[in-house]
Amino acid sequence: MASTLGTGAVTPDRRAAGAVRGRLTGPALIAPFALFYIVFLVGPLIYTFVAGFFNGSLLRDGFGSWVGLTNYADVLGDAEFWRTLKHTLWFTVLTTVPLVLLALLLAILADRFVRGRWFFRFAFFAPYVIPSASVSLIFMWGVLADQVGLAQDWLKALGVDSPPSWLGDPSWAMWSMAGVTVWWTVGFNFVLYLAGLQEIPRDVHEAAAIDGAGPWQRIRHVVVPMLGRTTTLVTVLQIVASLKVFDQIYMMTGGGPDGSTRPTLQYIVDTGFTDGRTGYASVVSLFLFLVILLISLVWFFLVRRAEKES
Amino acid sequence: MTGTTQTAAPAPRRRYDAEKLFNRVALGVLVAFALLWLVPLLFATAISIRPADEIAVDPTSWFSSNPTLAAYEDLFDKGKLPYWYANSFIVSLLTTVLTVGTASLAAFGLSQVRFRLRRVAFLLLLAGIMVPMQVLMIPQFLALQEVGLLNTYWGVVLPQVPNVVAVFVFKQFFDGIPRELVEAARADGAGWLRTYWQIVMPVARPAVSAVTIFVFVQVWNNFLWPLLVVTDPEMMTLPVGLNSVQDAFGIPYAQLMASAVLGAVPLLVVFSLFQRRIVEGIAGTGLK
Amino acid sequence: MLRRLTSPGRAAPGPAPGTAPGAPGDPAAPSRRALLRGGAGLAAGAAATAALSGCGSTIAQGFTGGEPPADRLNFWNPFTGGDGARMVAMQQEYEKAHPENSLRATTFVWGNPYYTKLSLATVGDRPPHVAVAHLSKLPVLARAGLLTELPGDALAGQGMTPEKFDAKPWRKSHVDDRLYGVPLDTHPFVLYFRTDIAEQAGLLDGGELAGIDGPDEFAAALRAAKEVTGAFGGSVASIKDSATQFRLFLSFYTQLGGRPLVADAGATVTVDLDAAEEALAYIRRLGEEKLIPTGADGQAAITMLTTGQAGFLMDGVWQIVAVLDSKVEFDMRPLPRIFSDAPYACFADSHALVLPRQPKRDDARVDLSLEFAASLLDSSRLWAEGGHIPAWLPTQRSAAYRELTPQSHYTEAAEGAAYDPVAWYGGAGSNLQINVGDAVTAALTGRSSPRAAAERVRSELRTLADVESPI
Repeated sequence: MASTLGTGAVTPDRRAAGAVRGRLTGPALIAPFALFYIVFLVGPLIYTFVAGFFNGSLLRDGFGSWVGLTNYADVLGDAEFWRTLKHTLWFTVLTTVPLVLLALLLAILADRFVRGRWFFRFAFFAPYVIPSASVSLIFMWGVLADQVGLAQDWLKALGVDSPPSWLGDPSWAMWSMAGVTVWWTVGFNFVLYLAGLQEIPRDVHEAAAIDGAGPWQRIRHVVVPMLGRTTTLVTVLQIVASLKVFDQIYMMTGGGPDGSTRPTLQYIVDTGFTDGRTGYASVVSLFLFLVILLISLVWFFLVRRAEKES
Repeated sequence: MTGTTQTAAPAPRRRYDAEKLFNRVALGVLVAFALLWLVPLLFATAISIRPADEIAVDPTSWFSSNPTLAAYEDLFDKGKLPYWYANSFIVSLLTTVLTVGTASLAAFGLSQVRFRLRRVAFLLLLAGIMVPMQVLMIPQFLALQEVGLLNTYWGVVLPQVPNVVAVFVFKQFFDGIPRELVEAARADGAGWLRTYWQIVMPVARPAVSAVTIFVFVQVWNNFLWPLLVVTDPEMMTLPVGLNSVQDAFGIPYAQLMASAVLGAVPLLVVFSLFQRRIVEGIAGTGLK
Repeated sequence: MLRRLTSPGRAAPGPAPGTAPGAPGDPAAPSRRALLRGGAGLAAGAAATAALSGCGSTIAQGFTGGEPPADRLNFWNPFTGGDGARMVAMQQEYEKAHPENSLRATTFVWGNPYYTKLSLATVGDRPPHVAVAHLSKLPVLARAGLLTELPGDALAGQGMTPEKFDAKPWRKSHVDDRLYGVPLDTHPFVLYFRTDIAEQAGLLDGGELAGIDGPDEFAAALRAAKEVTGAFGGSVASIKDSATQFRLFLSFYTQLGGRPLVADAGATVTVDLDAAEEALAYIRRLGEEKLIPTGADGQAAITMLTTGQAGFLMDGVWQIVAVLDSKVEFDMRPLPRIFSDAPYACFADSHALVLPRQPKRDDARVDLSLEFAASLLDSSRLWAEGGHIPAWLPTQRSAAYRELTPQSHYTEAAEGAAYDPVAWYGGAGSNLQINVGDAVTAALTGRSSPRAAAERVRSELRTLADVESPI
């Protein structure tokens, strides 16, 4: 409303002709994108919501028959759904914490060196451009394999007699998944932090140095606080990405051993595409969507409040 | 202590030492992490060029007295790798072109043209950022099944086109373009499309390259969506093919690592060549 | 492009046999599909033909969604390792005999990923022409309308008549009296043993294992072997291998006379809690007494046998190639009869060749596919070398097969074949196998008591059975 008033009433003199033609031009320019947006995003979202009230199946034609709130009740009472949600959240914690802190640390340290920075950038960011399929092959058969894997080999060299089966032991598998993910994606956050560091004016450092602050104090009291905005962004992006985990877990453990790593997204794929229960999987999708939405909103709200207080 | 006599000189000196020490430690930490980070890639490469009999004797050794490219040759001879490369490339390129085209056009409309409900339209689009594509797989799949686009490039491409982040990045950039530039073009009688194509887009190169890189990498590495949409082995993208299709002769270790390396190589090469630009592009799209 | 526009799409001349009623229903669908597809195709047409004309028809197909050429035979299977190598050899026989056709075989990851791919491909109108399916899965696939019913006369036309097949797998290839698969083999869960170790342990009698039937007897034999190896008596895979654990459990459970785990196509749970507990208690006993390892994956389990850390191996017959390759002295026999409460039983499954439902019916293609199936059957001897008991009687009854050792030493196991219970969530690599297998692993490793594990088996099954079937 405000904007229509703003363009139409307050500045009537500004290219009157353009504004008239703009009435159709604007929407026309947006139309191609909006078409994709409506067909592949808005439509499916509505469909997901509606499909939840039917017992649709991939293996039967048609929408299925109306089942009311049965799917919703079933999902809420489905222990496996809650378990996969727990795994998803646990994975998010296990990855977000190191992915933010490690990226922050590495970026701050790397920022001190002009020469050689390309090397660090390459080493940390290179894994990020590798497809998850390659990452999974490398870790499943190379690094984390039983008997022939590098990780077990190194541990044995360090004197550990029977190193754990990284992907086969239910108490280790999720940690392994988190470890692989940290390796794979820390570069992205690292790069975001490097960009954030570029925006801190040099004279801030110098001023702090003249005040007698050592390098560590400067990092703690000057640099990290000034990266606050970046940290917020990195954390939100990371949380959302981790909540959507699927690839590496699906490929390396298939959700096992003993279902101990299966994330909610895989539960959607398993129920929706392997079992073919599209109505049920739609409801699970909707719940996962709500969880992601809720967590990102809460995070934004918390940060907003913290910013206001300070 | 001896505060009265040694006031001026040693303090900066000590600070300088601390600085130097800190730098050393920092460098050590960084190098250690960087090497650790390179280990998996180097290990995979090292294994991929070892002959099978050596691997059988000592699977975790890094060295080979007889390095061979046999595993790579096998993959290219027997496998469908060339198809997967081609498919990945086509799919990524198509998606990128369509995304850059539609998103920049929409952003141009939102940024430079005044019209009713402009703000509402923008907010509606922006809300899409909150919707992860992964929760929409089922209806998208069913829709593509209905129109017979499963197992085609279009099936992989079209649902990935509405990328709200891309619109956002373009709009940010267009908002920063001096109004006079557009107004001058308009005054010269250029239509909106000409203004977009001849005036705005050439200026927007950085945004175009950022979005291109970001979308291309994302589509190239997308696994879940093509996994569902493409079942024909010759129609698969690289990540899906690497994961789904097995070698009938079992799991020769060297070949597994070779296929991992081959999967990683294209974007690694591109990344090495355009490191700075890619990093800036990613940071640019992720940040602001 | 034009061809696509006029192509009738899925408008087959009447519902293909085996499709669910109403599947090709909506008469408006094909024209709308063709139109949309054509539209997309036209849009891409210029680009496709101009830029990519040199890159082969596959890429053009990617733009237009066209179908593969008529002489192309797409074949999917889940065989790797020894099985894969043999299947490739069998395919080569076919190619030698039929150089005019182009066979394209693809191997996928076994289990749920394979069957998911198969059903998504069929649902998405691009199924392979021939595929391998386990008989434990065949009823599910058939009832879901994913398979073509095999016409008896066309089968006979290729020389495949009922009396030439092993009766049990042949019967299992039928659903509601309709034939949906050409059975290739029966592959039971068996016992491998090192003859040298068994000899030293004093377990051999005239070259054969003696006195290993019965719970204490088998444990005693394992203990004797353990004393020789200094490590374990036998080995079995338990890490990352819920399927093997399921097979072990189902063998013992069925020997105990346990009712089928589920009935009514999976709608009701009929598991016998006491039998399940007893079977699990025995598995736990073997683990607890360190007669078998509790932390070996599939590869390690085999390596333990081949490196002499274990004298026995409980595994599927298909591992024979891996053991043969190690050149150790070994033999095979059916899994021992641990419990005698019921007729002898051991887990088994069969591979069959199926024809997934095609977007449109094409009798010539069916003949082409069956010809390929017949050719594979004729190569059954090659398949038997890989451990599988051929379902093709001309091979199973041949002298050449009977002379094949140790492959012919466990033929009778096929008679005790205990297949997976029929359920839409059951079959090779299915949710049922995974969920039950995980509970068995928990018992083996001692994470759960046998009673708790048995109860978990029941509750896992109930959870699965409670779900309304999507078929």
